[in-house]
Amino acid sequence: MLTYAALIALSVLVLAPVVWSVLASFKTRTELAARPPSLLPETFRLDNYTGALSEFDFGVYVTNSAIVTVGATVLTLAINAMAAYALAKYNFRGRNALFLVTLGTIMIPLQIILIPLHQVVAQLGMTNSLLGMIIPPAATPTGVFLLRQYMLTIPDELIEAARVDGAGELRIFLRLVLPLCRPALAVVTIFSVIWRWNDFLWPLVIAQSQDLYTLPVAIAQFNSQEVVPFNYILAMSVVSMIPVVIFLILQKHVVRGIAQTGLK
Amino acid sequence: MTTTESPPATSVRPPSARKRGVKPWNQRLAPYLFVLPNMLVFGVFIIYPALNGFNISLYNSNNGRAFTPVGTKNYRRLFTDEEFWQAAGATVIFVVAFVAVCTAASIGLAMLLTKPIRARGFFRAVFFLPVLLSPVVVGLLWSWILERRSGALNAILGAVGLPEPGWLVSGPLALGATVFVGVWAHAGFYTLIMMAGLQAIDSSYYEAAHLDGAGAWHRFRHITWPLLRPTTLVVVILAMIAGFQSFDFIYTLSGGGPLGATTLMVQYIYEHAFQSPIQYGLAAAGSVVLFCTIFALTVLNFLYGRRKESM
Repeated sequence: MLTYAALIALSVLVLAPVVWSVLASFKTRTELAARPPSLLPETFRLDNYTGALSEFDFGVYVTNSAIVTVGATVLTLAINAMAAYALAKYNFRGRNALFLVTLGTIMIPLQIILIPLHQVVAQLGMTNSLLGMIIPPAATPTGVFLLRQYMLTIPDELIEAARVDGAGELRIFLRLVLPLCRPALAVVTIFSVIWRWNDFLWPLVIAQSQDLYTLPVAIAQFNSQEVVPFNYILAMSVVSMIPVVIFLILQKHVVRGIAQTGLK
Repeated sequence: MTTTESPPATSVRPPSARKRGVKPWNQRLAPYLFVLPNMLVFGVFIIYPALNGFNISLYNSNNGRAFTPVGTKNYRRLFTDEEFWQAAGATVIFVVAFVAVCTAASIGLAMLLTKPIRARGFFRAVFFLPVLLSPVVVGLLWSWILERRSGALNAILGAVGLPEPGWLVSGPLALGATVFVGVWAHAGFYTLIMMAGLQAIDSSYYEAAHLDGAGAWHRFRHITWPLLRPTTLVVVILAMIAGFQSFDFIYTLSGGGPLGATTLMVQYIYEHAFQSPIQYGLAAAGSVVLFCTIFALTVLNFLYGRRKESM
């Protein structure tokens, strides 16, 4: 009984801010300024959403976020899976060193290399471009680690049998290993989508012009400059939560995937 | 982490292999081609910048251009900058409180969520929800709720006749609010790790303790707590690293104010690196100090955990 009381009280603490802002996103500006604030909007209006879309480049920010998220995730999956396969299934000189390097990079967060990284990206001419947001964070040590752990469970005999049948190395990877890794690939996909969609600091540093803002950057910049009405920022914030809803739907799949990956 | 080494790929070889230990050229070349793209991105965008960051900290930059070597001048300037010490102090308070509350909350929540209760899946999903939200939005949500006049929290406090403080207006309250919001946003992730740790504890221990008539507190004190220590160590290290990196949700929650009370190290570095006057060298020196701090504390934590383990 005490367990339920504690869980329900804590759930309210977690959910209330989210529910409150979703409800508030349907309110008019006058309702939002009301004191004390109301819980439910008088009528559910989509004005804030359509207003943000028509008066500001809301659509552009959502599109930028989507391009960066999809582009970075596809790139992450491709290069992480390739590296994980080499580290899991080949015995080659330098393998252990490369694996250590991979794990070591977990210790170097973006915040610490912000300035030198920005310089490299500038020298490559990728600042103020979506490419500059997509490529630098694409190699994730966590992704390589997760996929490698999963690939270790694939029997070597399977790969050898394919070799005996005359399959090339690339063909074995694409046709045999990747399909077997679907649960682990799903986990990495979902993590990558959430990281990239919510990412703030790196896109903030890269996007100099407003037409390259991603959704979080637009929300934060407009909020601090107060050039966009509060109700539009609210609507944008709610839209940014949509992937979360999708995640909650996919949740079971993810949890099963994690369990099978051996990350326990 | 359990990194089981795979048996060498050469152990099972097709009978057609010509000589022992010699693989066809394509099998020898393939692994290097497979790791190349990932290592290229690591090298260009993580390892090279990390090494170069130290280098930059020894140079002065004239608004991002014309670098001149200055030795340790940036470090001396950093250590005499009042703003740096304020940011360092706020960071230490934030990290200590954040790690302590996150660890305690995640153990408590994990114990509740591993009990055989109704709607367990629902509750688990609820507590994981904030982890999935954009930190920018998390900061905004709470800045609306904690707003002095129009915020929901003070509306509730006022309705029951309690005082309505300016949560984000006074320094100590704002730093406290920052810790709270940080925990709100992250605790679900650490709870997930703790749940995995709890599930790994053999239930026969609890059954035996139950037969011996041990109460709930005794079971926690003598079974859960000691057996959960490796997991707790992981959570402490991860929370500490996350705490030192905190920036995005604070940026929208308080903007680092009032009067720099919630400006942590990363924001200090960001402001000196990207807001005029641009001082790359000084910001890079701050990054080096931050990295050394995180690195040293992580190593210390590991050593402490190891020592406890072997006792």
